[in-house]
Amino acid sequence: METMKDLVGEPTLGMAGPVSEPGALWRRGWRNLRRNKAALLGLVILAGVVLTALLASHLAPADPNHQELALRLLPPAWATGGKATHSLGTDQLGRDILSRIIYGSRISLLVGVTTVAVAGALGTFLGLLSGYYGGWVDDVIMRLADIQLAFPFVLLALAVMAVLGPGLKNIIIVLGITGWVEYGRVVRAEVLSLRSRDFVEAARAIGDRDAVILGRHVLPNVATSLIVIATLQMGRMIISESALTFLGLGIEPTIPTWGGMLNDGRNYMNNQWWVSTFPGLALLLTVLASNLVGDWLRDTLDPTLKE
Amino acid sequence: MKKVLIGVLILLMTGLTLVGCGGSGGSKDTGGAPKTGPAGQVVVAQGVDATTMDPAMHAETPTGNIQRNIFDSLIFRNKDMKLEPGLALSWKALDDRHWEIVLRQGVKFHDGTPLTAKDVKFTLDRIINPDQKSPRRSNLEAIDKVEIVDDYKLTVTTKAPYPILPGRLADELIVPADYVKKVGDAEFAKNPIGTGPYKFIKWVKDDQVVLEANTNYWKGAPTIKTVIFRPIPETSTRIAELQTGAVDIIVNVPPDQVKTLESGTNTRVSTAPSSRVIFIGFVANKGGPLANAKVRQAINYAVDVDSIIKNILLGNGYRVASPLTKAHFGYDPDVKPYTFDPGKAKELLKEAGYPNGVELTMDSPNGRYLMDKEIAEAVVGQLAQVGIKVKLNVLEWGVYVKKIMAKELTGMYLLGWGNSTFDADGTLYPLLRTGQRFSYYENPKLDKLLDEARSTIDEQKRLADYHEAVKIINQDAAWLFLHQQRDIYGASKRIEWEARPDELLWLYDAKLK
Amino acid sequence: MPFGHGRPPVWIPYSRGKERLLLKRYLWRRFGHSILVILGVSAVVFFVIHLTGDPAALLLPMDASPEEVARFREAMGFNDPLYLQYWYFLKKALVGNFGLSLRHQQPALAMVVERMPATLELTLGALLVALLVAVPLGVASASRRYSLVDNLGSTLGLLGQSMPVYWQGIMLILIFSVSLRWLPAAGRGGLDHLVLPAVTLGTYSAATIMRLLRSGLLEVLKQDYVRTARSKGLSERVVVYKHALRNALLPVLTVVGLQFGSLLGGAVITETVFAWPGVGRLIFQAINNRDFPLVQAAVFILALIIVTVNFLTDILYTYLDPRVRYS
Repeated sequence: METMKDLVGEPTLGMAGPVSEPGALWRRGWRNLRRNKAALLGLVILAGVVLTALLASHLAPADPNHQELALRLLPPAWATGGKATHSLGTDQLGRDILSRIIYGSRISLLVGVTTVAVAGALGTFLGLLSGYYGGWVDDVIMRLADIQLAFPFVLLALAVMAVLGPGLKNIIIVLGITGWVEYGRVVRAEVLSLRSRDFVEAARAIGDRDAVILGRHVLPNVATSLIVIATLQMGRMIISESALTFLGLGIEPTIPTWGGMLNDGRNYMNNQWWVSTFPGLALLLTVLASNLVGDWLRDTLDPTLKE
Repeated sequence: MKKVLIGVLILLMTGLTLVGCGGSGGSKDTGGAPKTGPAGQVVVAQGVDATTMDPAMHAETPTGNIQRNIFDSLIFRNKDMKLEPGLALSWKALDDRHWEIVLRQGVKFHDGTPLTAKDVKFTLDRIINPDQKSPRRSNLEAIDKVEIVDDYKLTVTTKAPYPILPGRLADELIVPADYVKKVGDAEFAKNPIGTGPYKFIKWVKDDQVVLEANTNYWKGAPTIKTVIFRPIPETSTRIAELQTGAVDIIVNVPPDQVKTLESGTNTRVSTAPSSRVIFIGFVANKGGPLANAKVRQAINYAVDVDSIIKNILLGNGYRVASPLTKAHFGYDPDVKPYTFDPGKAKELLKEAGYPNGVELTMDSPNGRYLMDKEIAEAVVGQLAQVGIKVKLNVLEWGVYVKKIMAKELTGMYLLGWGNSTFDADGTLYPLLRTGQRFSYYENPKLDKLLDEARSTIDEQKRLADYHEAVKIINQDAAWLFLHQQRDIYGASKRIEWEARPDELLWLYDAKLK
Repeated sequence: MPFGHGRPPVWIPYSRGKERLLLKRYLWRRFGHSILVILGVSAVVFFVIHLTGDPAALLLPMDASPEEVARFREAMGFNDPLYLQYWYFLKKALVGNFGLSLRHQQPALAMVVERMPATLELTLGALLVALLVAVPLGVASASRRYSLVDNLGSTLGLLGQSMPVYWQGIMLILIFSVSLRWLPAAGRGGLDHLVLPAVTLGTYSAATIMRLLRSGLLEVLKQDYVRTARSKGLSERVVVYKHALRNALLPVLTVVGLQFGSLLGGAVITETVFAWPGVGRLIFQAINNRDFPLVQAAVFILALIIVTVNFLTDILYTYLDPRVRYS
């Protein structure tokens, strides 16, 4: 539902004026980063995950889908009964967990990045329309957002699966659709406040078309908010993929994903802890890192937060 | 502000206590009753709650399991799935289409009304009546009419010869005619009375169904006083509840947890061969590689079913060579499973015209059957070894069933089939007869045999037909035959109770140590 | 995170009469919107769920003949055109009749209402947990930014948002029920039954609220009036709790309102893991069974609650922050 604030249309993340001078931004970012060791750690972890995903085929010790049923549920190498060839142990089908985690980074990153991109693009577009044109356009889009929030997520996922079939692409569509509202509202609120500002008024006065005004003058000014939301949302999307798997609506089981592995491991949590713990750790670290980076970005990009 | 905050907290707390009061209090009174009558309490955890207490208005095992303790059927199945007298003392075929049923005398419903033929007629008519919209109607579709001969005798007439009628009757629970008519369907579905060993006490939806011993039961009073059924959907939680002693019997234990429960100080495991057969079907009637029997045979040779049973099910399954298990009427011990022979599989593929392998899709449910998704994944992995590339889709059950019945499947599909009549007809007809709900296979020779066998009550003739049918199905590789499931239950060591092949949770025989 | 501004506690003078008029108009508009949203949700749910499957197929025994299935579908009215089915549904729903659940043959609306106490208990419990954890931690980490408390608090907050709910739930059961035997693992009963599910469900909200409160407080703490308060020699405690917290809590309030809604409907996984007899599990089962009337009724009730809570949050917001104007 809309809040009072939506109606009033206050700026939300403080980027009320034209984008700050870039040099200052970098300096502030660096200063924050030096003080904020956690953010630095987050950046390092994220970089590591991206590298892992890129180099998966070189890093993985085994084919992530190679099964050896006779060697299923082997503990990690250092535990009794473990094998040196499977350093983090094997899963319920005798597949190498380390290799699956390494390959899984690809899908988890892919899911994180693309869902956020889909949600962001959709949300920004609708938010821009809503805020810039106001009136019935605004009403329709905002009511749509409200409906979406009251709509059961499981049902949406089921519907997409029933109509489009299961699979990675459709999971991204589901998650993308569920995520747009956040962007939509923020962008709308910012546009509302920008609409009456001098540089937008000026652009309108010299006869720029709406699309130009939105693209050249408005969009850059909401970009920082978008980046911040996106980094914070990415972790949530990666987790949502796992939740979908729990509800039986996930990605093809033959594609290794952290969420899928974690979910497979939930029946082994009391005895074969390694099946879910390692993918869980990978997921946790990545989400943690993207949240840390998100926080840092917010502190940096949002001048009202500077000390 | 602090005050406001404290105010909010107090508000929340009061809210909590208020709703808390509305909840069901803990129900932990064990023992205490005199030693003579039924005593003690047993808690059974299934995956889902009952949907109704009216036996006519559902077709689900978990709901039936609860009702089986409240109601009786005319005919019982013993531990070995042989039919034996229940509310009916005897049943016999008078001719092709007429059956005579004689009722036990002196049986009383929980409200004291005696059971008579009128209740039986009412029960069966009610299910058959289209206006009742009973989901069970298909079970009794074959019945033409039910007639009362006297208070304790009825005749059932079928539309055509229907040899499996006694098996069907074993699944229908008898309800009290007068009571149902008096209180109406809606009330009966909430407050049932039956003739069974346990009386219905209360039902807190999605939380618990509480039953209490019927001391006037016609077989004698049960030994356990209170039985509580609780729905616990998550497997790990069910196991945790058994381990902590909050629950005494749990269903659907994954094979990998067997060792844990067996080594626990208070827990044990009970297993039973299920009537459920797990298989991977082929969409053989839409052209493509799977229309070719050689490809289907190749797939049977390429999959190491024994290894799947040994490693994934940890032995909790029995290899099958056909859709039938030993317990089914029509089973042919001479039909043998395919051997594991990847070389032969490759050869057959070459003969079929696919020397470079084929690409297929496979659909599977997840969590519907014991280790279903894992088995599907293992099959996909093994088929890859002989050049059959399979893309596996895991579908939500409702979507899956819709696809199957709309005949939208392509490629292969994993399915399990339980057959409560223990007769070949209940498996072969719906799954392999051309045009049936679950059939993606067309074979006129097989159709003829199946049609013939279901319309005669001559047992010898039927057996011969089914033996012939099973041979065809095996040789033509109508499916990738996998295994018969073994159901695994967890139980507390304080209770004497054993699992049954028909998934029934019958607490009458259970005893507390 | 569309919240978090310094809000100087300054009253902007309005003429009272105009304000009241604006308020009235605003409330009516909001009311109209709420009705629209509820209608919209139920319409979308109706058409979407019909796309996903066939209740007849799931309701009848697996071995029912094709003829029997067709007959059943006809009898239940599933063969009518969808718009016609919607019209029948709407006509009855408008007078509060959502029909009988297909599986349970009980009035669908009553089934949902029956489970509301359990759901409310869990939701309130989770919110309580969230606030009890989030408020002290948020305040502590904002008043000592980059200190040990702050880092610890932030890390905890981030961890809370980095764990899948089901994993956390099972973990808690394994630790507190199976190993330590302190708390029951499942079901509803006394307060002890509530602890684990409430903690599980509340964790994510706790993390959200904590992080929001922290950034809100940081902003407020550098506002002029806080500086003034400090310069007047007030103790940091008084400054933080008396002056800053009030303003920082405003955005938190909105989020708590939003969270309340998502907690109510979003408890599917928690309720499943802990076998909690609430609406989330009911709706999930109803969706799985394609029990159309039951899904409709549940979605209607949830939408109603979410809309109402948001409405109330807004009003409370207006009341607490007089700066807000009605346009």
